[in-house]
Amino acid sequence: MGKMLTEKMEEYLEALFKLSCEEETLTPTRLSEYLGVTPPTVLDMLRRLEAEGFVRYAGVAKGSGKGKGEGRARRAISLTPKGQRAAKTLVRRHRLSERFLTDVLGLDWESAHREACRLEHVLSPEVEEKLAEMLGNPETCPHGYPIPDEKGHIKEEEKIKPLCDLRANEKRCIARVEEEEPQLLQYLASLGLLPDVDIEVKEVAPFGGPLLVKIGDTQYALGREVASKIYTKQGRGPRRRGQRRMGDARKR
Amino acid sequence: MKQEHLEQLDKIREKAEYIFALAGNPNVGKSTIFNRITGMGVMTANYPGMTVELNIGMTEMDDLKIGIVDLPGTYALGAVSEDQMVARHGVLQGQPDVVIVILDANNLARNLYLLLQFLDLRCPVVAALNLVDQAERAGTHTDVELLAEFLGVPVVPTVGIRGDGLDELMHQALELARRREEYITIPFSYAADIETRVRKLARRIERKLEEFPYGLSPRALAILLLEDDEEFVAVLREETGGEELIAYCRQIADEIEKEHGEKAALIIARERHGIAGSVASNVQERREYDRPRLGERLWEYTTSFKTGIPILLVVMGLVFLAIFWGGGALADLFSRFWDSAIGGPLTRGIESLLGVNMFSQSLGWAVDGLGAVLEIALPYLLVFYIILGFMEDSGYLNSVAFLSDRSMHRLGLHGRAVIPLISAVGCNVPAVMGTRVLSTRRERVIACVLIVLVPCSARVAVIMGGVSRYVGWAPALLLFAILFVIVIAAGFFLNKVMPGESTGLVMEMFPFRRPSMANVLKKTWLRLKGFLYIAAPLIVAGSFVLGLLYESGWIFKLTQPLEPLAEWWLGIPAVALLALIFAFIRKELALALLVVLAAQVIPGVTESSTLLDFMSKGQIFTFALVCAIYIPCVATLAVLWRELGARDSLTITGSTVILAFLLGGLSHLVLTLV
Repeated sequence: MGKMLTEKMEEYLEALFKLSCEEETLTPTRLSEYLGVTPPTVLDMLRRLEAEGFVRYAGVAKGSGKGKGEGRARRAISLTPKGQRAAKTLVRRHRLSERFLTDVLGLDWESAHREACRLEHVLSPEVEEKLAEMLGNPETCPHGYPIPDEKGHIKEEEKIKPLCDLRANEKRCIARVEEEEPQLLQYLASLGLLPDVDIEVKEVAPFGGPLLVKIGDTQYALGREVASKIYTKQGRGPRRRGQRRMGDARKR
Repeated sequence: MKQEHLEQLDKIREKAEYIFALAGNPNVGKSTIFNRITGMGVMTANYPGMTVELNIGMTEMDDLKIGIVDLPGTYALGAVSEDQMVARHGVLQGQPDVVIVILDANNLARNLYLLLQFLDLRCPVVAALNLVDQAERAGTHTDVELLAEFLGVPVVPTVGIRGDGLDELMHQALELARRREEYITIPFSYAADIETRVRKLARRIERKLEEFPYGLSPRALAILLLEDDEEFVAVLREETGGEELIAYCRQIADEIEKEHGEKAALIIARERHGIAGSVASNVQERREYDRPRLGERLWEYTTSFKTGIPILLVVMGLVFLAIFWGGGALADLFSRFWDSAIGGPLTRGIESLLGVNMFSQSLGWAVDGLGAVLEIALPYLLVFYIILGFMEDSGYLNSVAFLSDRSMHRLGLHGRAVIPLISAVGCNVPAVMGTRVLSTRRERVIACVLIVLVPCSARVAVIMGGVSRYVGWAPALLLFAILFVIVIAAGFFLNKVMPGESTGLVMEMFPFRRPSMANVLKKTWLRLKGFLYIAAPLIVAGSFVLGLLYESGWIFKLTQPLEPLAEWWLGIPAVALLALIFAFIRKELALALLVVLAAQVIPGVTESSTLLDFMSKGQIFTFALVCAIYIPCVATLAVLWRELGARDSLTITGSTVILAFLLGGLSHLVLTLV
């Protein structure tokens, strides 16, 4: 890296990396929503990052002169290999820190995440390496997201997929349920179809038929349109509310 | 809640010392337990949503009269769907002394969710841990005492179908009802941060509200508001200071959402699942079997597309054959018995006693009517009801719902609608009521139209007893195929014509259960009772009236205006059309009266049977076709009216009559051309 990255720039790279894992196309608008800043600020920062060679964002430099359709098509942001590397390092440091804070220091997740947001910017490669070694090179953060290894490889890309795209016998974890229909959301919640709950697809009827899914001890038939509103992610749901221990049940 | 239910409840309350409500998830055996306790006959089946209304009954214990209210099965007490609303109002407005929550021991964690909601509402609860035998067989052992200790409510293990534990259950409930005054229900506490907020809101509610809706506790109201419960938010708006409370609640809900990144309603649901899950895992021990049990394997076969569809076809074929052969054999048996032992002697006896006059002749018609009940209707109904009972109790219909979801979409419905549609095969009336589980009016209208077109047991008896017995199995099969096509076409048509989309299917799938012969027979008897007590007397009376009309000569004056429609358009005798019109009262009347007419109008047998002398095979086919399509019966019309209102119910009735006569005419045309 030619110049030192500022903390702000790092935040942007991290945000871009996380968004690119979940979504097809990245736009400045989406980025500004995600970071909670105004679009002009985002554009300004994107220009700087592009100048440093971390991102490609054609919209800034040449998009205006060409035909409208072309301009819009090119107005997507992507990370350059250099940007990818930098972002992955940051993500790795963040998630390692989280692991350390929860596993070793016993912080709760909310605080661990907050602290890790600060730590990721100050860890040196050496500390990072020692930390990973001490923790036994963990593969996921406490929230269940994968930690990239030192070369930036990610074991399995975290991809959010709607339930209806899964195949039979696939086991995943509910990431979120579309909130457009609060009634459906509540109904599903009362059945136990909640984010971070493990879900197994037992059967998928062909030609757009329903899915047979298993949650805990119960099997449900879910129509395609319902299944398309439930998003799933890789791996087991982390322990959160909804999975408590013996002591809690006694608490009356 | 429907006014009639409230009145019924009030009546019971006057008579009974205590009222117990039965609550639980769908298909945990509530209705079976209800039947056991009250000695009443509510239809039960191994699929969700069999009960959509409140069933109310009475029982006696220790010389005390106790009213029992069977609530529809629900997963929660939300305001999300009609069945949940009915259950909730049964509790809130019905104010039972004790709520008996029936839990499925096979799936304790999910079932406890509802119980926790009752605790949140501070209802006095007794839990029945039902289906324990099945759970033990599957390797799940529950420590009942520990469960009772955790929940702080009495828990009684039961096997509803055998009646095990029900005495103890009632005893515990009565004990609780007697100590009602001193008894306090203690709800579970949620996680500290949520609980503090709930209490904060509860305190505010306690200060601001003069009157609590349904006498609920402030904490219960606070939870309902945080769950964003539509009904209670609306109720609170009406109260003085309600708006302010709602705003305050919103603020607290936002706090929760900000902290947990999830809506407050979801967090509360998560909390309840958490408590339920940890209670269940602490009181249950399970052994895992390596080999999937037979029930589970059956499951895989019947729901997977490759094997499921052939199995479905085979099952339908077997059902048809069983009715064809079984019903036919029984009909032969009954008819031999009737002719030699009762029918012949009875007619001769009447004639020798009263002489030959108009009255005795008409009595002869009535005797023939009774004969038709026994020879034609009863055998086919009996066989059909037994098969239906087995199908319902086995749980196979769940698989059918799963397999058909996709095709149901083309008809503007989702797979859940298959349940009322299939139950329509037994009787259209409860099926129409069952459409309440569908969420939109559009779906309910479509489902009602299709239900009315699905041949009910009475029409199956007419088709099998008439067409398959006298014409042949192939035409009977053809008739069913025609009806099937009509149902599909009607669905397609309505889906195109009525704007809107179908909502999605969310249905719990239940494992296969071995049907209990006793229960199947009991259900068969329940259904037959409806036939024997209502339809059979109607058939006898109808035959008598027809006899009077015939002997007095009035029948020809009456049928004359029908002649063009009957003879020219449908190609059947005008009197046969009269039988069809009578059948509006009960569909079984159609065939029974036809057989009576045939026996009386054409005395002396020339061919194999009098019916075939009276009408040709083609005429019988047309007759059965018209009978199967036009509006089922007066009871169905009444329930349609109640569920959908005058306009839609009359439109449906009118369209089916027109369709019936159009197709009847077409059938006549084709048959004359061939």
